[in-house]
Amino acid sequence: MVTPLGLDLDAFWSGLLGGGDALTAIERFRTDDLRVGRGGEIKKLPAVATGVRSRAAALLVGAAADLRARARLGAAADRIAVVAGTALGGVEELEHALADDGTPRRALDALYDGPAHAVADWLGARGPVVTVSAACASGATALGVGADLLRERAADLVVAGGYDVLCRFVLRGFDVLRSLTRERVRPFDRRRSGLLLGEGAALVLLAREHDVRGPRLGRLLGHGSASDASHIAAPDPEGRGLEAAIRAALAAADVTPGDLDFVSAHGTATPSNDRVETAVLRRVLGPRAGAIPVNSIKGALGHTMGAAAALEAVMCLLAARDGLIPPTVGYEQPDPACDLDYVPGTCRAARPRLMLSTSLGFGGCNAALVLEGGR
Amino acid sequence: MMPIAPGTRRGARVVGVGILTGWGNGVTALPANAREAAGGRAVVPLGQPVMDGERFRRATRECLLGVEAVAATLRDAGLDRAAIRGNRTALLFVTAGAYGPSNVDFVLGRTGTLHFPYTAPSALSGEVAIEFGLTGAYVILIGAATATVDALWQASRLLAAGRCDSALVLAIETFADCEALWRRARWTLPAPLVESAACALLTADDAESAYRAAAGDPGALQAEVETRAGRTLAAAPLIALGLARAAGGGIARVGGTWRGRTAVIELATAGGAASVPA
Repeated sequence: MVTPLGLDLDAFWSGLLGGGDALTAIERFRTDDLRVGRGGEIKKLPAVATGVRSRAAALLVGAAADLRARARLGAAADRIAVVAGTALGGVEELEHALADDGTPRRALDALYDGPAHAVADWLGARGPVVTVSAACASGATALGVGADLLRERAADLVVAGGYDVLCRFVLRGFDVLRSLTRERVRPFDRRRSGLLLGEGAALVLLAREHDVRGPRLGRLLGHGSASDASHIAAPDPEGRGLEAAIRAALAAADVTPGDLDFVSAHGTATPSNDRVETAVLRRVLGPRAGAIPVNSIKGALGHTMGAAAALEAVMCLLAARDGLIPPTVGYEQPDPACDLDYVPGTCRAARPRLMLSTSLGFGGCNAALVLEGGR
Repeated sequence: MMPIAPGTRRGARVVGVGILTGWGNGVTALPANAREAAGGRAVVPLGQPVMDGERFRRATRECLLGVEAVAATLRDAGLDRAAIRGNRTALLFVTAGAYGPSNVDFVLGRTGTLHFPYTAPSALSGEVAIEFGLTGAYVILIGAATATVDALWQASRLLAAGRCDSALVLAIETFADCEALWRRARWTLPAPLVESAACALLTADDAESAYRAAAGDPGALQAEVETRAGRTLAAAPLIALGLARAAGGGIARVGGTWRGRTAVIELATAGGAASVPA
């Protein structure tokens, strides 16, 4: 993976466990005309991505290189699929295409499916190449679609995950919506006042269980999605779509809410998201809700949009592997409307086995994953 | 109006197709040869649907085309809105570039501050979900015909797994507002680019849906779509389903190629009109 906390999986994990954040002044493009000019910016791309045309593709290539250093792609090229989730695709290339680069290549790069094809080419994967764009729930849906491709035997290995670039286009958009905070990002905290954006890419290698020879990080047991059908830019006030997605994922995994040991929440730190998400988790988890640790890593990284759910899924599996749950960075003061155990302060010694990860996005997108730690 | 009853859960059957293209509504509006009919035009545009209501005041042309396509699909299937409302209908939306106009407008500062959410592809399907009250499974894929094949397969899988009783696969492609950008790709996308919004309604069926994710021959129907409709990208497989339905149904092979990948799916298709005027 490639994140503002570091350019590989180990740096990401040690950064999360350390409890700091990677939210800094944005240097790559101008922000002087915006209310907020901070975010989770990656200051230097991995060397392997040098020469890759678009930043979005470069992030994916960086993540793919980290993945390939850890796992062998042991299948015929035409049986390896790539499924990438993104909220923005190659949109930064659109700005170049309109401003200073009139080449056909730049125009095609601006399409949202360009980066997934670029990383498939880089990996030599010749199987299906799929781009999911369910806004900020894209990474979760991509992992689900990847698992479905394996189940259907449309591929033998799937490189799946998500990515997005912190660019002026999206920063300007969230800035005008007044979704960005000028303060610290504080998921579920009484003083929370909005999010900061980040960028990154996370890819995992999915295989059918009986094909896995060596150790594995974990299992994707089930996934679910649902539409809110209530508003384009705001979550359903009752969180009905999120609840439906969670219940669908639990049913697909054949797991009951009482079996869950840990929840990785979307936790954007906007006043409405965290309140709605808490209410949904209370309804789904029932009497055990207060006893299950819930964290958000967006206080450390910012909201990485299409990458977020993939990063959070990996975080869950690392928590299970190492027996440590990263804290919710920025959470200090409880809010009566957010009354779960949000893992304040420092990382928590616990070894979750069954875990839930939740995501929401523009357009009423909701997605959930149920994961199991490796054995 | 018939309610949609869950069928035997092994695959899917196409029971309605709604097609709007720059040539008109339904497959009967398609010319024999799109290139000749275009008369040298690079883009054959669709109009702006007119819809009343405060709710649509910010909706883009692409959102409205999506709503129109789903409405046409319901007419073709002989169903009313109540038949798909709720959490038992999945929505799968596909486009290669229908988010382009709103993105360009936002980059160039031609829109108001609240326009930003409409730059997301999910805003297009989001408006459709709101309009028809669709709260079931929800997937959005980006790409041309291959992504639509993936979406048809996903729909079949959701139906076979009992996750829904019906599924809408919706594709929207517009080109006129970004014509200069699309024309840069004219070597890979020869004219005419034909604006389209197409939708297929699937229900569970005992016939399995054969899916080839990265190989196969898209078949004669798809070739007919290329000839008669022109370049419709993500809408092409759905237009092919419309042709199959108009020809009496049966097992329809649809597919396409995009960025070097070919994908194909065979789906049971009920016979019908697929040409009900709006």
